[in-house]
Amino acid sequence: MVLLLVGVSMLTFAAMSLLGDPLFNILGPIAGDTENPQNIALQDEAKAQYHLDKPLPERYVRWAGDFITGDFGVQFSTDGQPPVLNLVKERLPRTLQLMVIAQILALAIAIPWGVFAASRANKASDKVSTFVAFGLVSLPNFALAVILFYIFAIKLDWLPDTYEATDPFWGFTHGHRLIQLILPAFTLALPIAAVFQRLLRTDLITTLQEDFILMARSKGVSKRRVLFGHALRPSMFSVLTLFGINAATLIGGSLVVEIYFRIPGIGTAIVEAVLREDFPVVLALVMVITLAFVLLNFLVDLLYTVLDPRVRS
Amino acid sequence: MTDTPLLQVSDYRVGFRTPRGLARAVDGVSFTLHAGKTLGIVGESGSGKSVLNRGIMGLAKSAHQIESGSVLFNGAELVNQDRQALWGDEISMIFQDPMTSLNPVMKVGKQVTEPLRLHLNLSKSDATERVVELFTAVGIPSPRERLKQYPHELSGGMRQRVMIAIALAAEPELLIADEPTTALDVTVQKFILDLLMRLQADRGMAMTLITHDLGVAGGRTDEILVMYGGRVMEHAETDDLFSNMRHPYTEALLASIPRLDHAKHARLNPIPGSPPDIIEPPAGCRFAPRCRYAQDRCTTELPELDHDGNHGYSCFYPVGSDANAEALATNQQRGHTATGLQIRAKETV
Repeated sequence: MVLLLVGVSMLTFAAMSLLGDPLFNILGPIAGDTENPQNIALQDEAKAQYHLDKPLPERYVRWAGDFITGDFGVQFSTDGQPPVLNLVKERLPRTLQLMVIAQILALAIAIPWGVFAASRANKASDKVSTFVAFGLVSLPNFALAVILFYIFAIKLDWLPDTYEATDPFWGFTHGHRLIQLILPAFTLALPIAAVFQRLLRTDLITTLQEDFILMARSKGVSKRRVLFGHALRPSMFSVLTLFGINAATLIGGSLVVEIYFRIPGIGTAIVEAVLREDFPVVLALVMVITLAFVLLNFLVDLLYTVLDPRVRS
Repeated sequence: MTDTPLLQVSDYRVGFRTPRGLARAVDGVSFTLHAGKTLGIVGESGSGKSVLNRGIMGLAKSAHQIESGSVLFNGAELVNQDRQALWGDEISMIFQDPMTSLNPVMKVGKQVTEPLRLHLNLSKSDATERVVELFTAVGIPSPRERLKQYPHELSGGMRQRVMIAIALAAEPELLIADEPTTALDVTVQKFILDLLMRLQADRGMAMTLITHDLGVAGGRTDEILVMYGGRVMEHAETDDLFSNMRHPYTEALLASIPRLDHAKHARLNPIPGSPPDIIEPPAGCRFAPRCRYAQDRCTTELPELDHDGNHGYSCFYPVGSDANAEALATNQQRGHTATGLQIRAKETV
């Protein structure tokens, strides 16, 4: 886990250092001036200030030490060079909120849908649901965003078409923010739900052939209770695994959605930072995403033991 | 014992539609079972014994399955009816493999309380008390600790006891035991069978004991039904069947069991050949291709179940009859049966 974090940070660090020259971000055009002694002095001063004159490994170790203590550095490309931490603090909660809602929504849609499809395997209704699922999986995120936006925000006008970043963060009392997140969350959740549904359906069909399902039926337990009470839990492993892995995809997917719905979150921040070659920002955001990914998968591993007691011993 | 039998099966058939045609897994079976009695259903793999019982219970019906005939349970017709209301409550089933028949991710206590709460409407604590009683009755030591365990923490014998506890939980009138000991060690087998007998006697339940082992059925059943190729070969009271067996298949089945009084390293007596094709069964007797008494008549004419008092058998040349001795002599003389099965001149059974 720690190794993964170190590896990712090293790679990102090396890549960013090789590709861009941070001096341009800090000083602007004068960074390219090699004649005016005044500008050269400024360059040297900046280099010294940000330790850019030091060799790469030393810079990495300095950065890593700062990062662990919570100092993420400053934003090179923004006037006044405010700390990166401010940006992360501002952007992260929005993306996190969107992602959590999207994942919960995906599961909430996929589980009943998968159970429904598996219990009617290969019947007409299952075939329709398979068709819908593949449709959702193959539809690009931005296309789905446009479609949902057009139907629900413009034609029906049920949902707001703008995202107010200034609205209170946890909108349970105000409700406003959550309503604004409905469309983006569905855009993210629907394709994931479709994939989850496919996995769950397959696993459930396998589980339903097990002897213990027949046994449960012979006890007189109704079909519905067998599905949800006996078959669902041992069929959740694939979905759970994907749930963890999918977190990374979701961040990528949330990028498009954040841009389309104009949500200033991590996704948009990382695009801006990459384009401006804003080295500390990219690094910090990549690290935050990696950290979230690692933590989530750790949580998934814990959940395995909850799902299957045999993993415990 | 009342006059109406608990279970009355007449000319019951179960077929499966397959791409090759209809597979007649159970082909016209009739029997009667009274409360408190045990019927052994014996046959090798593919004889239709399991399908017969699952058919009667109406469990795990596939879309390709069709049934006909009549099954009266307490006088009510079951064939082509939804029997879910009976499951666990009036008819219970014990499955063959205790390793795969318990839900691996559910505590065993919960698996036993489920039918209790469902059928007897017991509260959670009452149900738990009942489970402790049941566990004690089936011989599970320290039942209270077991409640919180998962199936993988129990041995095969313990799991089978849990299964029995589940099946008995709601005090069914009929218990279908589908090879309850096949997957267990021999030492555990005896314990489980004796336990089943005792519980059955205590509760006055009727039971069908399905097994491929005549030895298992002997001494633990009131009547035995010998099945082959979906049909009843012989049906008699257990004592009568062993002392006076009439059907060549029953004879061959018993001969195939190794016995303690055989010489060491004596050859086993397997039944030659394999079970019949139930989609295109042989024209005459199902067993004719493997029978050492088979005559021409056996290959063309299907023998019906003949009754000699209470003893039923479907054979033209029943064991112990003159016709049988003649048939054997004929076959020994020509060195093969009417179906071409090779016969040694002197063969001991």
